[in-house]
Amino acid sequence: MNRSEITEKLNTIFPTVFNKPGLSITESLTASDVDGWDSLTHMILISEVEKSFGITFKLKELNKMKNVGDMIEIIASKL
Amino acid sequence: MFRKHILDPLRDCLVSSAAQNAFCIGETFYSYSDFGKKISSIRSVLKDQQTGNRIGIVANDDLETYASIFAVWFEGLAYVPLHPMQPLERNLDIAGQAGITLLLNSDGKAEYVHQVTTSDLPEAASDFDFTEVSDDSLAYILFTSGSTGKPKGVAITRGNVGAFMAAFWKAGFAIDASDRCLQCFDLTFDVSVQSFLVPLTRGACVYTIPHDQIKYSYVFGLLDDHQLTFGAMAPSMVRFLRPYFDEIDVPSMRYVIMTAEASPLDLISEWAKCVPNAEIFDFYGPTEATIYCTYYKMPRIASAKELNGMLSIGKPMDGITAVMLGEDGEILPEGEKGEMCIAGPQLTPGYWNNPEKNAEAFLNLELNGETRRFYKTGDVCYFDADGDIMYYGRLDYQVKIQGYRIELGEIEFHCREFLGGHNAVVIPVENAMRNTELVLFVESAADVNETLSSYLKSKLPSYMVPAKVVLQDVFPINTNGKVDRNKLKAMLN
Repeated sequence: MNRSEITEKLNTIFPTVFNKPGLSITESLTASDVDGWDSLTHMILISEVEKSFGITFKLKELNKMKNVGDMIEIIASKL
Repeated sequence: MFRKHILDPLRDCLVSSAAQNAFCIGETFYSYSDFGKKISSIRSVLKDQQTGNRIGIVANDDLETYASIFAVWFEGLAYVPLHPMQPLERNLDIAGQAGITLLLNSDGKAEYVHQVTTSDLPEAASDFDFTEVSDDSLAYILFTSGSTGKPKGVAITRGNVGAFMAAFWKAGFAIDASDRCLQCFDLTFDVSVQSFLVPLTRGACVYTIPHDQIKYSYVFGLLDDHQLTFGAMAPSMVRFLRPYFDEIDVPSMRYVIMTAEASPLDLISEWAKCVPNAEIFDFYGPTEATIYCTYYKMPRIASAKELNGMLSIGKPMDGITAVMLGEDGEILPEGEKGEMCIAGPQLTPGYWNNPEKNAEAFLNLELNGETRRFYKTGDVCYFDADGDIMYYGRLDYQVKIQGYRIELGEIEFHCREFLGGHNAVVIPVENAMRNTELVLFVESAADVNETLSSYLKSKLPSYMVPAKVVLQDVFPINTNGKVDRNKLKAMLN
């Protein structure tokens, strides 16, 4: 799966988790850009991403994830 | 008290530990010398202004905000924190109630009148002499959720804070300049005061959490990268880390304080393995009795005391008296469950400009031939045979969400305002994570979901906005003619 395929798949997860139908992600998107992206929704997002890609994140990886670009990078490394 | 336990020790650190790190904020270190310079320049502004004795501080996560607190204290004044992520309307209400005429803000955004921007002030000569005021003067006013729809202010004096620090050290903490201490609480919540005062009065370093970070993940980063040694945290934050406990090993941690809400024994027992060398404490306290007033040291080897799976909150801190009150206002003997009432030098003089609430929440009780003023905590507890306090639950509709104290009535008030007559009930439920979450029931068939949620977001901090809205044609009523909250809750399953 290449980066754009990963992005496409993430674009189906983000709007559902944050309950924002129009939300489209970019690599530079961070938690502070999205209303309602807090500890709880972050946890839900991570678990949805894990389920959908069939991967698991380590806490260290979550901690180094500063934006959606980093997330895509880590997902790509696990596929 | 305040001078001896707070101002003098901090001044000593500013002068004699100037090169030591005082803060790590967003991965940048600041020394006590940097901190002292900021304090001095903010003081020079305060001296130039006509101020009342209460100064608003926008609670950003930066050196200027922390320096503002101490500049205010060195000037003999009190601070009222306003959270930048809470609705402006709520903050303006707080500023109005507290009668704030000057506000310090490190963020250039000029949302308030009489605002001084503290981020680009010129340097001023070192000024660590403080204006002497009595221990009866205010140190801060914190606003908590109020059931009437308006936040209520708890006024805390310098004597209250001094008494707290004296009692805290007596609970057995040895902190020195080599310690690295976590500060993961909003400055609008009083555990933050413990979290910055403990390190700053011992020459140690304070590690903070930027507002735009996911807290649990960032806290783990700090524990792991910087090998922190001391920290207070809420069980709900620790619960987010639970799926990753096998990855967490922080042998540097010497003391861990669990606070802000009841501590589940199973969670904390597992967490204890991640901090193998730490002494673990469960601290309890309402804002009205200044940060904490009872504590329990969790035994590592023997089994810990618990009630319904929640850790004991232990014994009163030094100087604090706790009694359990029966329904007829009598003081109950050991083993009997009643409302816990607290007395002692940490007790607030009262709610700010709120005589009705003061009449309700405080009472005089005669104990050992002496009449003393007590605060009714609303928490139901009992003393066990060793004098340890076992925590049972709340008397009223107050709940804790992510450690924040919330009156369900305040949320319901705003819902009813918006709905113009339709009834609304907020029910706390445990979510899949076993954290408390709010569900709002609206007695209406019309879909108001979207508009109501955005209205609530403009009136309330995000942790008070219900996670879910359920529309219900007619609410079930119990035999007393009241909305049956238990039935509503049962409908969710």
